[in-house]
Amino acid sequence: MAGGSGGRAGHHTGRIIFRAAATLLMVAILNFLLFRVIPGDPANMLLAGARSAITIHQIEAQRQSWGLDKPLIPNQLFSYVSATLQGDLGYSFKFRGRRVSDLILERIPATLALAGLAQLIAITIGVTLGIIAGWRRGGAVDNITTGISLALYSTPPFWLGMLLVVAFSTMLGWLPGYGAYSAGAAHVGILGRLSDHARHLILPVLAVTLGLIGQYVVVARAAMSDVVTEDYIVTARAKGLTNNQMLMRHAFRNAMLPVVTLITLNLGYVVAGAITVESVFAWPGIGSLTVEALNARDYPVLQGIFLLLGASIVFANLMADLIYGVLDPRVR
Amino acid sequence: MTNKKAITRSPPRARAIKSFLGQLLVHNSARFGLMALVVFFAMAAMPAFLVGPLQTAINAMGDFLAPPSFINPLGTDEVGRDVLNLVVHGARTSLIIALVSTVISLVVGTTVGMASGYYGRWVDVWLMRITDFFFVIPSFVLALVITPVAVGVMGRSGDILGFRPSLFVIILVIGLTSWAFVARIVRSQTLTLRERQFVERARVVGTSNIKIMLRHLLPNLVPQIAANGALVVANAIYTETALSFLGLGDPLQPSWGTLLSLAQRAGAASSGAWWYLGAPGLCVVIVSLSFVIIGNALDDIFNPRRRVIP
Repeated sequence: MAGGSGGRAGHHTGRIIFRAAATLLMVAILNFLLFRVIPGDPANMLLAGARSAITIHQIEAQRQSWGLDKPLIPNQLFSYVSATLQGDLGYSFKFRGRRVSDLILERIPATLALAGLAQLIAITIGVTLGIIAGWRRGGAVDNITTGISLALYSTPPFWLGMLLVVAFSTMLGWLPGYGAYSAGAAHVGILGRLSDHARHLILPVLAVTLGLIGQYVVVARAAMSDVVTEDYIVTARAKGLTNNQMLMRHAFRNAMLPVVTLITLNLGYVVAGAITVESVFAWPGIGSLTVEALNARDYPVLQGIFLLLGASIVFANLMADLIYGVLDPRVR
Repeated sequence: MTNKKAITRSPPRARAIKSFLGQLLVHNSARFGLMALVVFFAMAAMPAFLVGPLQTAINAMGDFLAPPSFINPLGTDEVGRDVLNLVVHGARTSLIIALVSTVISLVVGTTVGMASGYYGRWVDVWLMRITDFFFVIPSFVLALVITPVAVGVMGRSGDILGFRPSLFVIILVIGLTSWAFVARIVRSQTLTLRERQFVERARVVGTSNIKIMLRHLLPNLVPQIAANGALVVANAIYTETALSFLGLGDPLQPSWGTLLSLAQRAGAASSGAWWYLGAPGLCVVIVSLSFVIIGNALDDIFNPRRRVIP
């Protein structure tokens, strides 16, 4: 890593960032083209969809900001991209002409709470189990964990959610299976509302966690068992290190590389992964908004959600590439 | 001795297939996967023979949301249709969507990957740039916005090539958005094959590029494509189920995902109708697990290095 490599590393980083920007631009262009393919003038569609909840003035303003009187490419595309960059995502059909960006922003916290908590639990348990399974391949832990992970890996998380509702909400009556808060004023005070909210979180979080945990186990196990056969582990064993010393000093660090990459990548899919589960539990996040927009064919909201999903995925990929470069200098 | 003689006498291709099947069936889990798939393919092949024509709200005969009984082994749904009937007919829709879209993504992925690896230079650069986009943005997310727009443009009535328009759109969208992973694998394999002697020899003799790719490269790529193809099917089933669950499927030709969506709308979970939501979900899990298992077994067979590792 002496002198000359600094420039190469900088060049590498620049290329990664350029590629991410290009992908994001492609997401925006796709968004733009899809929206224009639908028959009808987008501004008039807005009028029809919003049913007079929107004023003529708003539509004229929208026509201008989208540049609908100018040619499709490049003028309209350019004004669409610049409007998007300024956070203007248009107005919703279904929600009485509300700004799409506002609609999305107010739904994000609920999704982040659900998916973030689930990721945290899945990463902790999944990676730990995967490392144990990979370290002792063919052992009891390995066989059981790998079998269950494969099964969970092929199970749609929303179906797990439905099963959880049947079992713990309908039959046993232990936990609520619908919404984020109980209806009515059953819970008074901050603490009461907080514990009520927490009880509503348990089943959806469990469903998303179970959906995620399989891949963490599989990747951590594969990374670990790749490392176990490396020469330096044989050397370490020959040096007389104990099992624990080998695990912590040599195996763990090297096995973490693909795991960290997977975790970073997955953070981009946090929102997308929770969509179906949210719809099962009527959890008031981006997922439920997606379903409402799909049912009402509320295209501006759908486009806004696509942009959000695309941007978070591209950003997570960018982070993963950058982190990988830091952790493994060979890539540079 | 006699056994050995029989093997040596059979032509090399038959021998290869026999030893391949032998290796595949050694895996206990692969045997389970194959058996499960045979059952589901039988269901998909002749649903009307097994359970009669697809029941609709008009010709439904059972009670509403009745639990499993002698007449309705898997219970009934909210309008009295037999769930077994729905699930068996759903097998046909789900498997057709999964398989046709997989064929599309394998063809696109193999073509892109092979062209990219074989021609190199600017072809490689541009094709890989496109591939990167589809690799980064998951099929489910793309399909989530493309499907409603495409269905909106084409309308929901009539049929295209024998499919209802929304199913046709779903097949096409899943197929055209999930090939990137195949393209990458095929490309890297093509890069190593390209330098091999038999390719060089073919080129010296004057074989055209297209012929080299089809006759010499493609046959050597088949193992990789097959192993990953199984995973592509599993992914397609998963994506289709999620999309249909969100209401993008066709209620007149219900897949397993559509059934789950109907169950959700009918409040099956909150009324404790476990049979209604359990049956289609279990089918999805078994079929996609079978494909994953078979894919892993194929990978094991084609990558002998893996087997050596304890």
